[in-house]
Amino acid sequence: MSTTGGMFAVLKEKVGQVLVPGDEFCFGAEETISLSESAKPERAVCGPGLRRSGDRLVVMKSGVLRHKPPLTFWIDSQQKRYVATKGETVIGIVTARAGDTFRVDFGGSELASLSYLAFEGATKRNRPNVQVGDLVFAQFLIANKDMEPELVCIDGSGRANGMGAFGAGGLLIKVSLGLVRRLLAPNSDIRLDLEQLFPCELVVGMNGRVWVRASSVQQTLIVANLLQSCDTMTTQQRQQLFRRVQQGAL
Amino acid sequence: MSPTRLCVPGDKLCSVEDCILGTGVYLRHGYIYSSLAGYVLKKNEGEQLPVISVVRETEVQLLPDVGAIVTCKVTSINSRFAKVHILYVGSTPLKDLFRGTIRKEDVRATEKDKVEMHRSFRPGDIVLAKVISLGDVQSNYLLTTAENELGVVVAHSDAARAQMVPISWCEMQCPQTHTKEFRKVARVQPEYLEA
Repeated sequence: MSTTGGMFAVLKEKVGQVLVPGDEFCFGAEETISLSESAKPERAVCGPGLRRSGDRLVVMKSGVLRHKPPLTFWIDSQQKRYVATKGETVIGIVTARAGDTFRVDFGGSELASLSYLAFEGATKRNRPNVQVGDLVFAQFLIANKDMEPELVCIDGSGRANGMGAFGAGGLLIKVSLGLVRRLLAPNSDIRLDLEQLFPCELVVGMNGRVWVRASSVQQTLIVANLLQSCDTMTTQQRQQLFRRVQQGAL
Repeated sequence: MSPTRLCVPGDKLCSVEDCILGTGVYLRHGYIYSSLAGYVLKKNEGEQLPVISVVRETEVQLLPDVGAIVTCKVTSINSRFAKVHILYVGSTPLKDLFRGTIRKEDVRATEKDKVEMHRSFRPGDIVLAKVISLGDVQSNYLLTTAENELGVVVAHSDAARAQMVPISWCEMQCPQTHTKEFRKVARVQPEYLEA
């Protein structure tokens, strides 16, 4: 999508501000075209929460406008309800067996289907060892609003790549999607702080579900409570809390 | 011929000496009885006795037949097939609701196993298809779009709900958001293309 220099500058100005659905950025907001500046059309890439409508850029979700140079703009919004998207890894709970597939609840509007053959090394004779009530870490193969979502526990080349059934011991908690994205970011502060506290095992699903296991039940509960309260804290408050826990635990 | 009156199965219509049997009636003990619930039609055929018949509707219903081109609307999709409602047969609208199924292997003529239903049809699309089988009592008409002239003719975009413009045999574009969506597009007839 091309824009004149004017709209790009307006967008950049608003980075970090809170926008609501209905806010628009117009093409051709300037009446006069400067003759001295070269009228080179600039492009902008719309990320989640922004949409092009005719010659306007319309905001669709309320949140903070973010920018990633050189061209990408998106709205960072808080959400708890998960919408299935192809390629995302989620934690699901197996609720039933239906013929050759499992029915898995991932927190969406429908149950997803997970085929018996979608596990590493599974054949028609060699069934995977998954019971009703188990947790599975899987990714979406089909996920759109018209069809039933389908999960698989293997990647394109047929390897498990960390996916599959798990969950002996440990605790499953529900957090907001924003916290999940912060946990999964490349150099996550929260993860670094947690590492210094206790050694623990974490499985993070993009549907807002996190599974925690530490060496004792008490430590598991502490980590679970810390993660849930991290959601609405600033960085300083969080670091203060972690420090207090560390001193209290020792 | 204008209908005379309504009748129900078992109504005695007339004696066999007055009329000749048509459709929807039967002969018993020298009298003609109706076997359908509908209108009684009496047709005069020259010097012979009039033909009496009972019909459900006064106009003859056009049914989709094998090989007919039908216009249908997609109601739901699945990874194996798409369910449709048949709206028109040729250019005649249908009064009753007929259901059809387009199986995954009948969507395209080439690369049948690589078809993704989500990239061929979406619920709400208007599709031109051809009837390949009438199906059993319970199953629906079986339709196919495995020809260049068959496929999606009208589709609305996901976000803006504007009518999309076809740009190739497998893509359509929304005029407002300029996003491209995948469909199995029917080839536009040459008379509708602007030169």
